[in-house]
Amino acid sequence: MNDLDLVVSTIDDGIPGVRTLRLAREDGAALPSFTPGSHIVIDCGGVLNAYSLTGESVRPQAYVVSVLDCPGGSGGSAWIHRELAVGDSVVTRPPRSAFAPVLSAKRHLLVAAGIGITPMVSHLRAARRWDRDTTVLYLHREGRGAYIDDVKTLTDDARIFTDRAVFGAELLPTLATQPLGAHLYVCGPSGFMDTVVEAAVQLGWPPSRIHLERFGIDAIDPGEPFTVTLRSSGTTVTVDSGVSLLSALQGAGHDIANLCRQGVCGECVIPVLAGQIIHRDLYLSDEEKSAGATMMCCVSRALDGLELDL
Amino acid sequence: MKPELGLTSVPEWAVAVTTPDADLTGRSYTVFALDSAAADVVSSWRAQIALRRPDVPVRVHTIADPEAAADVLCAEVAGARVGWRLLIAGPAHACMRLRAQAVRMGVAHDELTLASTTVAVRDVQCAHCRHVTTAKVDLEELLPCAGCGVNLIVYYHVSRMLGAHLGFQIDAEAGPRVIAS
Repeated sequence: MNDLDLVVSTIDDGIPGVRTLRLAREDGAALPSFTPGSHIVIDCGGVLNAYSLTGESVRPQAYVVSVLDCPGGSGGSAWIHRELAVGDSVVTRPPRSAFAPVLSAKRHLLVAAGIGITPMVSHLRAARRWDRDTTVLYLHREGRGAYIDDVKTLTDDARIFTDRAVFGAELLPTLATQPLGAHLYVCGPSGFMDTVVEAAVQLGWPPSRIHLERFGIDAIDPGEPFTVTLRSSGTTVTVDSGVSLLSALQGAGHDIANLCRQGVCGECVIPVLAGQIIHRDLYLSDEEKSAGATMMCCVSRALDGLELDL
Repeated sequence: MKPELGLTSVPEWAVAVTTPDADLTGRSYTVFALDSAAADVVSSWRAQIALRRPDVPVRVHTIADPEAAADVLCAEVAGARVGWRLLIAGPAHACMRLRAQAVRMGVAHDELTLASTTVAVRDVQCAHCRHVTTAKVDLEELLPCAGCGVNLIVYYHVSRMLGAHLGFQIDAEAGPRVIAS
């Protein structure tokens, strides 16, 4: 992999619970440019976590990420908050994006909550540069709003909320009055995103105009234990509650490519011969899920008797 | 041998008469009936929408003239909000032409529903002079370009932006002797 070896050049803990890092090359050379909405995967002491890039996107001198402290998470954010210091080395994957602005859009409506503002910041930088018609709705907890100044500076139509009800009252008329040609971008906790998308769909927004950036940061249900049979060896592997199929297979000596371990990236797809899959990923399409021939073993589970073509 | 048409840009409704149900996820509708046979399709669409979403506005335009239809569509799109849907019924080539106008104005694929009442006539754009010839012609058949006279084969390609099939000279690769004959 073409990993990047970077060094923490500054740390900003100005917003409670949010740590902002600048990561640069040791020799200060420019980093690869990226599409607005991109993220990088950082190796957080063995846990791979994805964080949106909020800084300059064209030949940047540094990658800037803001990390929310998630005490109940997989440990990646805790590592960044408690282990990392200025001058430390960090390994990241190059930027990638599945949340780019649609260049033909007549208007960009960005709706974010909490740390979900981060992918919007690079959208706003590009929107300002290219003079794109952009509206932002940003909901955050009082005193916890990251990037408020950037959001206000980078767009003329920023609406910032600390009250959920006020936000909700503004969201519906905003969604209802967008000119044809507008595109909606949503990022935030899963429940928030579901609410926004549900409201948009109720108002007739078609799927092609709705774009989501999911962090998968919400805790995932540990699931029931189940058994898996592997075709090549005929052996049976038991997957305990709270253990992913990926970990169980790795424990049984299978080398399985994986990256995000959040059901987002698609790297850990495995072929399924038979059995009842409980799909929990955000990667496979509805058709692929109902076909049942593949599954993402990092988050998805199954009923007893799953048979894998491994 | 024809390719699998589903793998080409030729829409199903341009090959066989197709009457899909109305898209019921919209919040307002503009409906075009482009020939008399389209009236039945449009009334069944209206009934479907009225049953599921009785409150949503549905504007119906019965227009056979393609340019007049395009003008009306422009005005409709200009005032439309996200949530709007466009439903078009008529001869496949007229549907294709109006769809092209919609696509050029940024209407998304999931905001469009098309029903064909006949599929015999095609608009074929000449790859050599760009003239569009309208004729009763099938895929793979030949027709003389009304612009430059070249013998065109109607190829399995439809431009969504132009709203026409691609036609190119059947013997273009055969060299000048053949063209002269």
